[in-house]
Amino acid sequence: MKANLATLFFGAAFGFTLGWARLAEPETIYRMLRLMEPDVFLIMGSAIATATIGTRLLRRGKARTWTGGEPVTWRTVAPGRHHVAGSVLFGLGWSIACTCPGPAAVQIGRGEISGLFTGAGLLIGIAIRDATRAVSPVRAAPAQELPAVGL
Amino acid sequence: MEVFAARCPWYLAGPVLGLCVVGMLWATNRPLGATGGFIDLVAWLRSPSSTPRWTVAFLMGVVLGGLLSGLAAGRLALDPGFAFFDQRFGTTLGTRALLLLGAGGLMGFGVHTAGGCTSGHGICGTSLGSPASWVATATFMATAMLAAAASTWIMGARP
Repeated sequence: MKANLATLFFGAAFGFTLGWARLAEPETIYRMLRLMEPDVFLIMGSAIATATIGTRLLRRGKARTWTGGEPVTWRTVAPGRHHVAGSVLFGLGWSIACTCPGPAAVQIGRGEISGLFTGAGLLIGIAIRDATRAVSPVRAAPAQELPAVGL
Repeated sequence: MEVFAARCPWYLAGPVLGLCVVGMLWATNRPLGATGGFIDLVAWLRSPSSTPRWTVAFLMGVVLGGLLSGLAAGRLALDPGFAFFDQRFGTTLGTRALLLLGAGGLMGFGVHTAGGCTSGHGICGTSLGSPASWVATATFMATAMLAAAASTWIMGARP
C-alpha cells in the first residue's frame, strides 16, 4: 500500500512536469523530431544525467527502500531483435501522434480528449500484441525477481 | 498561477524528471515507465476481478499529474494542443480520432514488443545503464525523426 502510494506520487510528479514543460503538446514533439526544439533534448539529457548519478549513489550507498526496506537494485538486459523491431513500430506511431504513452496520459488528465483516442489505440495495440503470442515474456516474470530494465 | 502557465525551463524539468526515477527506485525499487501501466491495464480489463499491478498506479498518477498541471496553468480546455495536429494532417475531429487510434495502435504494439517507451527505455532504462534501453531509444528516436521528416516532405511542408 505504501509502495503504491509512493508510486502514485512519483507518477503525478512525472505527469505534472511533462505537462508543465509542454511535452504533452504534439507541436513540441513534432518540432523536436524536426530538430527545431533543442529544449526537449536538453530535458532528456539532463533527466538522464540526474537519474544516472542519483541511482548510482543509491547503489553505492547500499540504499534500502523507504516503503519495504528491501535493497535497491536492478539488473540490465542485453539488446534483442524485439527491442529494435518494437521501437521501429513505436517510432512510426510516435511520428504521427507526436504523443507517446506518458504524455497521452497527461493529455487525458488535462482534458485534452483527443488523448483518449491515442490511449485507446495504445490499449488496442497492446491487446493485439498479447493475442499474437501465447504468454508474454514480460508478464511471465516471477513477481519476486529483481526489476529488470529494458525487457 | 503564472509560473505554471509559462513553460517550465529545461534545466528544471529535466532534473525533476530524473529525480522521479531516483525517488521511485529509492521508495519502491520499481523502474519508472508509462508503458507497463497500459500493458497491465489491458491485463486488468481482461480479468477485472484480479488486482491491477503497481504500474497501473503509476499511470493513474501521470493522469492525475496532468490534471494538476492543467489546473495550475489554468488551462483545462478541450484539445487546444491538437489545432497543430489538424493543421499538419488536414484533419477534423473524426479523421483525427481515426489517425490517433491508428498511431496509438502502432505505438501500443511496438512498446509492448520493445518492453518500454520514451519514459521506461528513454529516461529510466538509459539511466540505469541497460544496453537494451539505449538500443531501443536510439531506434525509436531515429525512426520517428525520419518518419516525421518523410511525412512532411510527402504532404508538402504544412506547418
